[in-house]
Amino acid sequence: MLDYIDKIKEISERLLKDCSVEMVIGFRKGTLPMMNEPCFARTPEDVGQFVWDSNCGINLANYLTDRKERIGIVAKGCDTRNIATHIIENKISREQLVVIGVPCKGMIDKHKIATLFADEIQTVTENGEKILVTAGGKETPLNKSDVLQKNCAVCTHRNPVFYDELAAEKVEEQQDVDRYADVQEIEAMDTQEKWDYFESLLSPCIRCYACKNACPLCYCPTCFVDEAKPQWVGKGQDPTDVRTFHFLRAFHCAGRCTDCGACERACPVGINMRVFTKKLEKDCFEQFGWEAGMSLDERPPLDTYRPNDPNDFIK
Amino acid sequence: MKLVKIDKKQWAEGLESLKKSFRLLGPVKEDSYYSFKALKEGEQPDFSFLNTRLSPKSLLFPQSEAIVEYSLDERDEDHHVMKAIETDDSPRAVLGIRPCDAKAVTLVNLNFDTSEYKDPYWVKALAATTFIGLACDTPKSTCFCTSVGCGPYHEEGLDLLLADEGETYLVKILTEKGGNFLSTAGLEAVDEDTTLFDAKKKAAEAKIISTIATDNLKGQDILDLHEAPFWEDISFACLNCGTCTYTCPTCWCFDLQDEIHGKSGKRFKNWDSCMFPLFTLHTTGHNPRGTKLQRVRQRFMHKLKYFVDKYDQGIMCVGCGRCVNQCPVNIDIRKVCALMNDHKVDEQACAVQE
Amino acid sequence: MNLMEHMGIESDRIHFSWISSAESTKFVKVVKEVTEKVKALGPQQHFKKNDAKVA
Repeated sequence: MLDYIDKIKEISERLLKDCSVEMVIGFRKGTLPMMNEPCFARTPEDVGQFVWDSNCGINLANYLTDRKERIGIVAKGCDTRNIATHIIENKISREQLVVIGVPCKGMIDKHKIATLFADEIQTVTENGEKILVTAGGKETPLNKSDVLQKNCAVCTHRNPVFYDELAAEKVEEQQDVDRYADVQEIEAMDTQEKWDYFESLLSPCIRCYACKNACPLCYCPTCFVDEAKPQWVGKGQDPTDVRTFHFLRAFHCAGRCTDCGACERACPVGINMRVFTKKLEKDCFEQFGWEAGMSLDERPPLDTYRPNDPNDFIK
Repeated sequence: MKLVKIDKKQWAEGLESLKKSFRLLGPVKEDSYYSFKALKEGEQPDFSFLNTRLSPKSLLFPQSEAIVEYSLDERDEDHHVMKAIETDDSPRAVLGIRPCDAKAVTLVNLNFDTSEYKDPYWVKALAATTFIGLACDTPKSTCFCTSVGCGPYHEEGLDLLLADEGETYLVKILTEKGGNFLSTAGLEAVDEDTTLFDAKKKAAEAKIISTIATDNLKGQDILDLHEAPFWEDISFACLNCGTCTYTCPTCWCFDLQDEIHGKSGKRFKNWDSCMFPLFTLHTTGHNPRGTKLQRVRQRFMHKLKYFVDKYDQGIMCVGCGRCVNQCPVNIDIRKVCALMNDHKVDEQACAVQE
Repeated sequence: MNLMEHMGIESDRIHFSWISSAESTKFVKVVKEVTEKVKALGPQQHFKKNDAKVA
């Protein structure tokens, strides 16, 4: 994937030079291993800072919300699905955008890699399917497939679903992945086990809201957690309030979540809150045959009615 | 100030016997990170940590703390009267706090304990606490304490400072409180000369490889910095989450929230963050810091300029590196500080405007 | 409803029904069923704040 960058830069420069866009949104190299920072270029010279590697897990669709400019945006498969959702929900218009599609080979899981090493990680470099980690002065090669973000490991839409430019040849989509193994594991638990599982999952949460703020779907002017009249949920650290935040946030993503994994990646304490949204994503897929953001023309299941919608739950 | 040597085994036994008269708090490993917890009987602090995920400020200034309670039931005699919630202010000791976090306590104290106003919850908790520092011999690459008036063996805010030396701790007694702690533990302390301690300190300081320059900040004009062209670039990636403020040992802002169930209510003091739009939202609906750029600028201006000007005690940062490590989008205070410190107004641009 | 059940709330605590204002007998039947099911489960232990005292 490292070789994409020349093409990304070439396209971005061209778009800025011929004034087809006013800015291009991409990533630049961060100051720490496994961290890239979302950034923008307004001039062809700014494009020099752009990078592309396996640390571009933040979903750039998040940076489009309500912008007025004409924008070029570097977008992975999941990013394009969220851009489509943004367009459907009128948060940006198709005419404003030039989508530079990136056929993605998966992003690496910085939380997981950090836990594999006792020492502080000094550098992480990549070479195709190999990830080289230097920690405590020692170099260790890892297989990229072993350290992919959990959502990337089961992703079946690596290629952009729509685009204006393409940064590379399309990649082969992953076949035979068990997309919902993690959800099924929880579904098999009994009620008490389920309760305890989520209780321990959420115990490190500090309510920084990085998950909801990294999510392109969370764009409400005032989030329900911040409402004071009525106060839907307590603002402190009571476990009931923490859980209310997480599960209501998930509900608001029903039929919209693309499982891009930005929430989990953004979490400073490494909570896999995808197990909430993933359950809804699975339900939408099983009950409505719906995957969010696959088309610009189809309305999402929660704002359409069809006579054969499942309704077994109404007694 | 006195330096002594204590055998680690004796230290552990001393701690155990101290639990009768002190509540002991220390770093404990949970999953993949460390946090400060009350130590149970038989439990020893785990000193193999680099630093805790969250700063120990929460021990004095909890993320969420009930401060008063009241009844709204008019049949109750004392209805609508705010009653303070009792706190446990018995003696306690924080074991293994890092020197940066201890210095941070002294900075937060500037805000919570002034001649004019005192936060009773903070003041009482601070008075009840003895701080036993643990010097850093293996700092992280993101530690920049030596650039900000702190260091791996810094003593400010501490009562005792421990340095790990094989089977023993070299213990510097910095205050009377610290001395009392040792005598209550009944520890046999052997006097030690400072040669080894000073050598360790020097070696540790040499390991801090990350540095920042803050020398120009005081001289910079507030409005020039405020209008500087770099804020859009710095703030673009920001998610406006509370990670930096919540993990920061020197961020002190809080919000008051009432929670009412039926006719009884409690008032909570919760951490707040200047990154949240709600932080400055007026009841009129107007928000003086309504944009992301304004909020990000506020955080860095407060830490690196307003605080410097107001207190003349350096920047409001102890170089612990938590925000650098945990920011989801890698906004790095070291980079921002360099931009602010090096900022020069383009004279020509001003001339054109005039 | 599925998500509530997924995170450990007993599914018998959550009911959806469509009852017309003319269907009084159905209303009575449903309420009876719901009450029985919830009674069988006993008081809710999870997902309630300890401070939450019903006045």
